[in-house]
Amino acid sequence: MPLTLVLICAGSLANATCYADYKAKQDDPLRLQYGVAQITGEDCSVEQAANELSPKLASDGWTLLNVLGVFDESGLEERKESAGDNYLRY
Amino acid sequence: MPETTTSAIEARQTGTRVVTFGISAIVAILLAAAIALFLNLPDANAFNERVEQLFVANNDLTTQAELKLLEILAQSGTAFSDTLSSYRFVIFVLLVFSTALLVAAVSFLVMLVLLNRRMGQIERKGIEVNSLLISRDQKTVYLNNFEFKLTDAAIETLSVLAEARMDDEVLSGAEIEGVISGRHASDCDEAAGATRIKRLRDSLGNQMISELLVKNIARKGYMLAIDKDVIRMV
Repeated sequence: MPLTLVLICAGSLANATCYADYKAKQDDPLRLQYGVAQITGEDCSVEQAANELSPKLASDGWTLLNVLGVFDESGLEERKESAGDNYLRY
Repeated sequence: MPETTTSAIEARQTGTRVVTFGISAIVAILLAAAIALFLNLPDANAFNERVEQLFVANNDLTTQAELKLLEILAQSGTAFSDTLSSYRFVIFVLLVFSTALLVAAVSFLVMLVLLNRRMGQIERKGIEVNSLLISRDQKTVYLNNFEFKLTDAAIETLSVLAEARMDDEVLSGAEIEGVISGRHASDCDEAAGATRIKRLRDSLGNQMISELLVKNIARKGYMLAIDKDVIRMV
């Protein structure tokens, strides 16, 4: 029993380290956004990231264009500068 | 050689058909052109969509500076959309103008053809009486300013016919005789009137001109074959 608890904890810990970078836009006038976001879902995939990010972005008036990829903490630093204000915003 | 005959009415009907067909064809063609033009003209969003495509297709375009640059690119395109809408208006005005001009051109072309046919008919007909001037005291009748000397009786007959024509009446031989002699038509002989008409025709001399001018309607009587508006009395 304790073993399964540890496994679950380990699993959730592994999920917490999932990040995705994405591209979004706003119309009239056209505005573009590149950002990095943390993915909280079960599996760390592009589809999961898109499903999670779409409603979050839409609530602020942004339309998700595409998710470039998913990565863990090791990929955060190199994208921090590019993402600017949108670094881990969502 | 087969004889080609055309009547004015037939020509007019053909002309109306040609005008209707021509004008509707012009309007249809230009309307289609206008619709195609308006649909194919790019709107302001064309620029935005292209910039968006660039942004999505290139994974390298992620830095803040590059994003700003792309946004400026899209905005300059959007600014051009005002110019496009003014172009659109100019094109629309030009299309309306060209429609009006083409419609006018077709109408004038058909009018020209009809006039030519009418001229041909008038030439074939030889003479059309445009004016008839009866001068009783000079015993003269002027047909299109051609002068004809007539006898008293012939002038009298012509005057009676002219007056009847102005009232749109057709006189029988007996009625003509009655008006001239002052008796009631029932007391007069049909042949006497016919004789007067014959004398009028004879004294007018030219058989063709007489036939053109004094028409005999079968079993009804005689009538001037001219428009009543052209008759003047002095």
